[in-house]
Parts: sequence; structure tokens; C-alpha cells
Amino acid sequence: MVRRPGSPDTASLVAGLVLVSFGTVLLLDRVEVLDLRFATLAPIACAAVGAILLAMGLFPRDRPR
Amino acid sequence: MDTPQDNPPQPQSPAPEPGQPRRLTRSRTDRVLGGVAGGLGRYFGIDPVIVRIAIVALTLLGGTGVLVYLAALLLVPSDPIGSEAPEAIAPGGARTRTLVVVGVLLLLLVSWPLLAPLAFLAVIGIVAWWLASGTTPGGEPREIAKQALLGIGVLIACSAIFVGGFLAAAAGGGALAAGLVIGTGVVLIAGAFLGRIRWFVLPALSLAMAVGLVSAAGIDFDGGVGERHYRPAAASDIDDRYELGAGDLTVDLRDANLPEGDTPLKLQVGMGQVTVLVPDDVCVASRAEIGAGQIEVFDRDSEGADVDWEDTPRAAAGNSRLVIDADVGLGHVQVGHNEVGLDGFGPDQRFGSDGDGIHSSNTGCQGTALSSGADGETTR
Repeated sequence: MVRRPGSPDTASLVAGLVLVSFGTVLLLDRVEVLDLRFATLAPIACAAVGAILLAMGLFPRDRPR
Repeated sequence: MDTPQDNPPQPQSPAPEPGQPRRLTRSRTDRVLGGVAGGLGRYFGIDPVIVRIAIVALTLLGGTGVLVYLAALLLVPSDPIGSEAPEAIAPGGARTRTLVVVGVLLLLLVSWPLLAPLAFLAVIGIVAWWLASGTTPGGEPREIAKQALLGIGVLIACSAIFVGGFLAAAAGGGALAAGLVIGTGVVLIAGAFLGRIRWFVLPALSLAMAVGLVSAAGIDFDGGVGERHYRPAAASDIDDRYELGAGDLTVDLRDANLPEGDTPLKLQVGMGQVTVLVPDDVCVASRAEIGAGQIEVFDRDSEGADVDWEDTPRAAAGNSRLVIDADVGLGHVQVGHNEVGLDGFGPDQRFGSDGDGIHSSNTGCQGTALSSGADGETTR
């Protein structure tokens, strides 16, 4: 079974949502609403990359769904 | 004596459709761990035991075997369920291929120091291609090599994006760069509905990580780039603030006759080396925030990420006190009486040493009030 026409690519969707969230956090830091440091940002970055990798692994483009 | 009929049948993956490339898959029937060696043996038509021996040998010779095995485990799919139909291999052909593969493996072992970086690069390239394309690498060896090359190209492009994003964010375009990260996310969301967009994930992540690094370290390239050396001849010549974006900043106060009481010295460096040289009889109080790096104040130091340093001793009676306030993104701050030890700097020859292995100290002070917080290490 192939991806239904019109259904979104889940991995790209997850990656997009993660990047929008991550970018928002970075923007809040730049406008000094937040004060990001490595201790804060490193886990956030790891979680973001992990979520994207997980989505790409769980929803490979060439795997039937 | 063996006859073709005596040979145990070896499991084969289903024959490819005409025009379809032969696929490398992990064996479901001949496996010790993940079926990698079984699959490779079947793919190249050799005994899987030889592949296992090669993997163990590569593991013992630097551990690369583990890396290769894990990469294959990650990237090579398993046989489809129900494809375990056995087929025999002609014994003569298998023997010839076995000899060829053993010879190639021996050559690989001999030339491994040269090939290891290439092999590592190829694995990284294949992983990058997998991430960028969203499809599992496979096919004929030539096709896999092509995928690895494309992956390396993707990595080079992503490195360029990372460097560009880093420089743009550090040069004052941080808000714009963060907005770009949000924009890439929006493009990915839209692309998820419109078409193939997965290739865009890696470039977008590269940009996001670069901007994140600048934000976490607090890097700011205001103040320019290069090497700056200041040597004020009097206390009145000391500037309120010394700034440098990236490079090497030295403030030499040994000629400045500091007055009794506190003399403030503010240092702001985005990325690089900061050196402060002070006269022997001056007490030094220091506060520093370093995104990632190290600070050394005479015989004390702290290093790691998010370094918060504060050492505020009082000056001895009649002495002057220099109050350093440093804000450094990524870098190294050193405070000492002289530059002995800068060349050949090592654990036994600290900055500020008198050259005999005896560390100089904050001699103009009455006491100390050291406090340091960092994800790294503090020594005193």
C-alpha cells in the first residue's frame, strides 16, 4: 500500500513543527524574553533532532503504510 | 567428497524482477545478531562466516567493525517476511568469489590506515543521503557509492549553511536568523502536503543548530575581528570597555600605575582568546560569563559550558584592585602577571608561572571569595 494521495508526509510535518517551535525559542532569546544557555538549549536541541530522526525512521518515504 | 547435492542450501532473497537492481538485505534465516553478515555473504555469494571473521577483525583493529555493523544494521533492511525460499549456489562459483573476497579483505586490512577515513566518510555520506532522501540506501554497489557521494555533497552544503548561519547570527542578524529557522519549518509543513520536501530537513536543521549555538554561547561579533593589543601607559588611559568580535584580545596593564581603590575593566569578546596582564602588587577581582571555554586567573581555573566565574578578594591595605568583568561567548580568558608559559602552554606550565613550575598568585589581595559554576571543571 502506498501513501494515499493528499495525505501529508508525516516526517516532514513533524520536522516542520519541531523547527517552528525551535525557531520560536531562538527568537524569544534574541529579543531577550528568554536567556538561553547551553544547559537549557542542549537538551532542547537534542530533543528536536531526536524527534525528527524518530519521525523519519517511523515514517520512511519508501515504506508502505 | 562434496557434490553439488551434498552442499547445504543457502537462503536467498527473492530473485529481483527483470530490470530491477539486486538489493542488499539482512538475512532472516542466517543470523547471529542482526543478519548483516548473512545478508552480505548472500549478496556477494560467499560464506557468511568469512564476513563475520572480517567484521571481528575490523573490530579488533580499531573498532571500525562495530561502526560498519551498526551502520548496516541501521541502513540495510531485513528480508521481506516469507522470502526464505532456499536456493543453492554453484559450489565452484562460491569458492572463487570467496577467494576474491578474502583477498580483497586482506588488502583492506593492510591498507586500512589509509582507507579508514574514506570508509568513515562513506558511511557518513550514506547516512546523510538516507536523512536527506528519506529512502533506504540500497541497490548495486555502484548505486550505493553514488548515494554516498551525494550524501557527502549534502553534508558539504549543510556545513556551508551552518557556517553562514553562524556568521549571520553572530554578526547581529540573530533575530532574522531565528525568523529564517521558523520560515524553514513553515516550508517543511507546507511541503509535507504538497510534495517531496524531506531533502530540506538537513539544511534547515543545519541553520537551526548554528543559530542555536550562537544563542547559547551569547556570541556577538560587535567589535570587529582580528588581533588587538592594548598597553595603556596610565590608569587614565584605560578604556571603560574593550570589545572584540572574534580573535585575540590582550590588555597589558603592567605599565599602568593603578590608583588605590577599584579600577573597573570590562571585556566583551564573542569568540577567541582574552589575555589580561597585571602588575605584581595589584589585587585582581574577576567576574566572568563564558558560554563555553575556560578561564584562568593566576593559579585557578574553570572550564566547560556555561561558565559563571566570580572571584572577588579584597585588596591588601594600600593596594589597588582591578575589577575584571568579562563576557565571552566561546573562548579562553587568562589573567596573570606575565606571559611566561604562553608558549608551550601545558598542564605543568600554567599561564602566569614564573617558569619554575611555581604558579603565580593573586598576591596583592587579603583573601579570596571564589565562586564558580560551570558544566565543566573548576580547580584551585
